Amino acid sequence: MDDLDAILGSALERIDAAGTLEALDRIEGELVGRSSVIAEQRRGLGKLDPAERPVAGARLNEAAQRLQGLLDGRRRVLEVEAEDRLLAEDRVDVTVQRRILRTGTSHLITQTIDEISDIFTAIGYQIADGPEAETAWHNFDALNTPWWHPSRLESDTMYLDYGDPKDEILLRTQTSTVQARTMESQPPPVHIIAPGRCYRTDTFDATHSPVFHQFEGLAVAEGITFADLKGTLSYFAREYFGPDRTIKVIPHFFPFTEPSAEMHVSCFACDGSGCRVCSQTGWLELLGCGMVDPNVFEAVGYDPSAVTGFAFGGGIERVAMVRHGIEDIRHLFDNDLRVNEQFV
Amino acid sequence: MKVSLRWLREFVDVPMEDSVEIGDLLAGLGHEVEGIEVLEVPFTGVEVARVESIRPHPDADKIRLVTVDRGDSSQEVVCGAWNFDVGDLVPLATVGAVLPGDFEIGAREIRGIVSEGMICSERELGFGDEHDGILVLEGDYELGRDFVDYLELPDVIFDLSITPNRPDAMSMLGIARDVAAKLDLELRQPVIEVDAVDPPTALQVEIADPKGCPRFVGREVRSVTSGPSPMWVQARLRAAGVRPISNLVDATNYVMMELGHPTHVFDLDQVAGERLRIHRAGAGDTLITLDGVERALDPGDIVISDANGIVSLAGVMGGGPTEVSEGTTRVLVEAAHWHPPAILYSSKRHNLRSEASARFERGVDPNLSDRAAARVTQLLVDHAGGEAASRVVDVYPDPVDAWTVELPIAEIRRVLGIEISPDVATGLLERLGLDVSGSDPLVVVVPPARPDLTRPIDLVEEIARLHGYDHIPETLPHGTGGGLTPSQHRARRLRAALMGAGLTEANTLGFIGAADLDALGLPEDDPRRATVRVKNPLSEAEETLRSTLVPGLMKAASRNVSYGQTDVALFEIGRVFLHVPSPIDERIPHQPHHLAAILSGTVGGELGRPGRPADVYDLTAVAEMLARSLGWDDVSFRQAAVGGLHPGRSAQVLKGDTVIGYVGELHPASARAFDFTDRVAVLEVEVAPLLAEPAWWGFGSPSVYPPQKFDLAFEMESTVPAANLVAAVRSSLGSELESVRLFDEFDLGGGRKSLAVTVAVRAADNTLTDDEAQSFRQAIIDHVQSKLPVKLRGGE
Repeated sequence: MDDLDAILGSALERIDAAGTLEALDRIEGELVGRSSVIAEQRRGLGKLDPAERPVAGARLNEAAQRLQGLLDGRRRVLEVEAEDRLLAEDRVDVTVQRRILRTGTSHLITQTIDEISDIFTAIGYQIADGPEAETAWHNFDALNTPWWHPSRLESDTMYLDYGDPKDEILLRTQTSTVQARTMESQPPPVHIIAPGRCYRTDTFDATHSPVFHQFEGLAVAEGITFADLKGTLSYFAREYFGPDRTIKVIPHFFPFTEPSAEMHVSCFACDGSGCRVCSQTGWLELLGCGMVDPNVFEAVGYDPSAVTGFAFGGGIERVAMVRHGIEDIRHLFDNDLRVNEQFV
Repeated sequence: MKVSLRWLREFVDVPMEDSVEIGDLLAGLGHEVEGIEVLEVPFTGVEVARVESIRPHPDADKIRLVTVDRGDSSQEVVCGAWNFDVGDLVPLATVGAVLPGDFEIGAREIRGIVSEGMICSERELGFGDEHDGILVLEGDYELGRDFVDYLELPDVIFDLSITPNRPDAMSMLGIARDVAAKLDLELRQPVIEVDAVDPPTALQVEIADPKGCPRFVGREVRSVTSGPSPMWVQARLRAAGVRPISNLVDATNYVMMELGHPTHVFDLDQVAGERLRIHRAGAGDTLITLDGVERALDPGDIVISDANGIVSLAGVMGGGPTEVSEGTTRVLVEAAHWHPPAILYSSKRHNLRSEASARFERGVDPNLSDRAAARVTQLLVDHAGGEAASRVVDVYPDPVDAWTVELPIAEIRRVLGIEISPDVATGLLERLGLDVSGSDPLVVVVPPARPDLTRPIDLVEEIARLHGYDHIPETLPHGTGGGLTPSQHRARRLRAALMGAGLTEANTLGFIGAADLDALGLPEDDPRRATVRVKNPLSEAEETLRSTLVPGLMKAASRNVSYGQTDVALFEIGRVFLHVPSPIDERIPHQPHHLAAILSGTVGGELGRPGRPADVYDLTAVAEMLARSLGWDDVSFRQAAVGGLHPGRSAQVLKGDTVIGYVGELHPASARAFDFTDRVAVLEVEVAPLLAEPAWWGFGSPSVYPPQKFDLAFEMESTVPAANLVAAVRSSLGSELESVRLFDEFDLGGGRKSLAVTVAVRAADNTLTDDEAQSFRQAIIDHVQSKLPVKLRGGE
């Protein structure tokens, strides 16, 4: 049994000296393999006195387990070292993109429409849509615009060669058409936002586009007041331009509202002290609004003595340009990827 | 409209001094302030002097020595101008005066003579630039008086935008009335007095078109002398943005600015027959207006004729021959009320918009015409030495009376949300010059000067305006239940999916021209040729509404290439316009939303390894991904020739059995027409079918048993669509068929090809045995071979 003690005594040193998995394999064969001392002695157990066999067998097993544990431990170390070497060779520079996963952007106009829609759906509004090619009735007559009003001239409005000439099919000049479309199709109450495209016979320049987008708001119910209009626009200003914004409304004129007003929001860039964004006035003119004119209610079959309502209409491009500091509306229709990809 | 603060203060004592504060006051009344200009005194030390004598300079030909009387003293100055005589009044810049440009006047020696100051031209004084010569003053001036006293300075000019409903506010007096009402101040009216002298005028006026001209007031003023207006009149006109011309013309402009009623003066000696007739122009009539342009008149134009023919385009511009001139001695003052729409259309038609037409088209108070004529007459008497003739021609067959509006007090609260007592409301309305009686309802008498006040709501607005919009609180009502509809939600998912596929959203104008459809190479009978035409297009290239989104996107893509961005991936969602009735309203054209995408340049690629050119498969993949992301599994592609597309690389897009659009690569000729030489992949589909809500899906438990997978290769004619093979495999088994995917395509030559699919089958309730898998395999082979002209390769 001295052999076994000697083997165990030198095994640790030998195993730790194995620098490669191959060397370790060799040592493993010598220590616990078929021709190892331990294997030989196992084979010799049968020749022992039956009384000695259990003790000798237990001793052999213990030695074999110990050796195997040492071998396995060394093997794990060598395996990790080997993998580390492979990984060191497998190094790449991950600081730069090799493959570009291209992502698109939605248009600023779409984003603005979605954002405004969300602001108003949160207070119980629905999003309404209406046709862009419209009857003159929906664009003008229903909105209390007299037959001779200059906005009907071809210098302002684009007319279409379509349908019955008496219907005067045109490209809507305002999303207010959706007021008439919605009210003629459903009874009050109505709480809608109608974002969409509008068209005017304008020449393209920094502040005008023949195609632009508006968002129309309309709330009609019993008991709607001018104070509600102010509160609603104030809510919108805070949601869109930030919690510290205040608004002012000043008298104005639109054929389809009475009283009418223009809404201004305190400048978000200077907090109202005057800067380049607000032309030193502290205020940004944002949209037109007012109480729905009784003539509009009559045109769509609502009873003006039963309900009141307010309406407002603003330019999508206008609010987006103000907020993002875009000074030329043409950027929004050129579809230059260097521009559109900024709309993150 | 430009409003002078000094002029305004003639009628109301505006208490504020800060111009921004006054601007806020005006804006708060509904008169938007587009600009504020502060007019400073441009000089000091200039006084009125009279030329006493003139003598030549001993050493110079071109300059003279002028002795001027300053009232309490005289002095001599050197002067190079020759446009004045002894006795003329001139502005004298004394020693120590400072002229514009910080030009200080000192005693200066000119050719040996010391000049103690200088006499000045308009330009040297910093206003006007009419004369090169010395400013010769005409009228009443006090010698030695500071010349600034005659120039209406300093002043603040407010440039106001008057809304179209407020004709009454188009004047100094109108604005003053609003200010007085807002601040509860006294409004002073101008004193208008005319001493008329016999003989009466012989003028006869006939109104043949009483609708076009409800009222015509004419006054004759004799013995006028044309010349410059007094300095203060000129200064006020300049402040109001009107160029002074002569005392005769200035009188009309002054009254227009003061009272808001435009008037006109004719040289009465040039009016044939002393007789005027007001009527509509006839066909073929022409008039040379005083700007020298011969104008073809429209039957809608209201005109004034004398015995010889048309002399004036009413309310818009007079004719040349009857225009007042330097030699005019007898004038006719016209103050008429014209039908507003007629003036609007005439001025637009002839492109002659003016301060006068702007007022007439809003609707001038017809009951103001006599006062306006009297005021002009008074100014002609005062400033042009005229003599008013004793008869006033006033043709007013159907006078407009004041009307009554009843306002229930509850209406104020119902609309504004605030309580205003009857007393307060009465006070506010009375300050506007309305006559109010009763307490509920208020009975309000409105004069014709306020055509905008005809209904209770109009009075509510006036109450709100004077009470102040800023004194109305803010309350926030809640709607009856909001949110997006399912299809609105799905539209957002559609956009998100497109962005995820690497496409960027474009927004194009939406107009196209025949040239675009030609460039696209559409055949004559292509439905996209049936466009809706714009009657008044922006340009010929944009004469129709888009029937397809592709040309707009192609141009956007082409622009990007020209900017140096050659890899383009764009999409747009928007309406197209088709020449068929809309399902929502048969009067208007159908205008469904389309989605289009285009892809060009390279796709993928990485460092050191270039990408591959975009092709049709990039967009069929997008189309299929879109459908799946919206819950549809029934979108397919049918190989088909599509107008404008590559004949071998185009397909119809189907949802179920319905064609909803097309996908493909542009025909190379079409691509070249949009400046592309590479492949351009395009996709255009209707949006509504995708946004429809699919039926609720039912849950299927995934099998816990393993699948069996095998590959099948079939040989067939090259023209057999691969989609048909996949469909045939799919339809050959029931729920056991888990998936089928094309994995290999091989050209066998001779017009034949091989397509290989990999198939997975799996049972819900057991592990498939090899025998079961084999029988499924055989079932697929049998089914496919019976459905399609194909043969299993290497098979029996």
